[in-house]
Amino acid sequence: MSPQSNRVVELRIPSELGYEKIAREAVATVANRLNFGPDKIEDIKTAISEACTNAIRYGSGSDARMKVVVILTADEDKLDILIKDPGASGAPPENVNIPDISGMVEGKHRLGGMGLYIIRELVDEAGFVEDGDEDDGNQFRMVIYRMDDDVEIRPEESGTDNGGTT
Amino acid sequence: MSEEIQVLVRGEGRATIIDLIGDVTTFAEESINQAYQSASADGAVNIIFNFRENDYINSAGIAILIGVVTEARKRDQKLLMTGLSAHFQKIFRMVGLTQYADLYPSIEEALASLNGDTGA
Repeated sequence: MSPQSNRVVELRIPSELGYEKIAREAVATVANRLNFGPDKIEDIKTAISEACTNAIRYGSGSDARMKVVVILTADEDKLDILIKDPGASGAPPENVNIPDISGMVEGKHRLGGMGLYIIRELVDEAGFVEDGDEDDGNQFRMVIYRMDDDVEIRPEESGTDNGGTT
Repeated sequence: MSEEIQVLVRGEGRATIIDLIGDVTTFAEESINQAYQSASADGAVNIIFNFRENDYINSAGIAILIGVVTEARKRDQKLLMTGLSAHFQKIFRMVGLTQYADLYPSIEEALASLNGDTGA
């Protein structure tokens, strides 16, 4: 897959916890082909896992008859990820708070609620898409740009491979 | 599509080691809590959670560990964590879990830290 081409991979996974691992493996393959470095690929895998888990648990009430759709668009300079769920729990949260782990440990807050925060920390852009039609469910979009520091230099890109040019 | 995790409890020097072999997600809650309760019932004071480097951990799994931290503080137990990949070390720091549990690259280094700890 050439990084210059715009390729789209679309997955439909059952809304059942555990299936987010399929999206995780798929995005790792796409990100690797885009030459993202190993550290960034780990970030992307965790971000998509958290986003799909939210879509399964909150967006469709863990009802395996429903589907979560994951669309991976590999662009020249970025990886664009869109996750669609049926919106079973109504409107998504508007704010993302820094987890108050002290409050959790002291029993002041419920355990959890860290997924969106982790996603925001790991990707360049993340947020729910506002399309004005709640009947279409929720759409959560993440974008990860190809930065020079993230890109794994491979022989054919480093200028050290002269194969076919002499 | 539940995922099995294998959780083993063993003693090693001054520590009780809880090996987590598999994914640490919501499906691991019962196994981890049972292992922790078992270790505590046997009088564990220093507990090492030993992860397998390439396994998958998500925020639900981290929430389970925060629950353990809560119990451990009530019992004056010391928690240590080993075997985490650099990525998950970063995530654990990001959410603040490292305020309550020290991270070490290996069990050996965690045990060495306990041996140098005269306050336990």
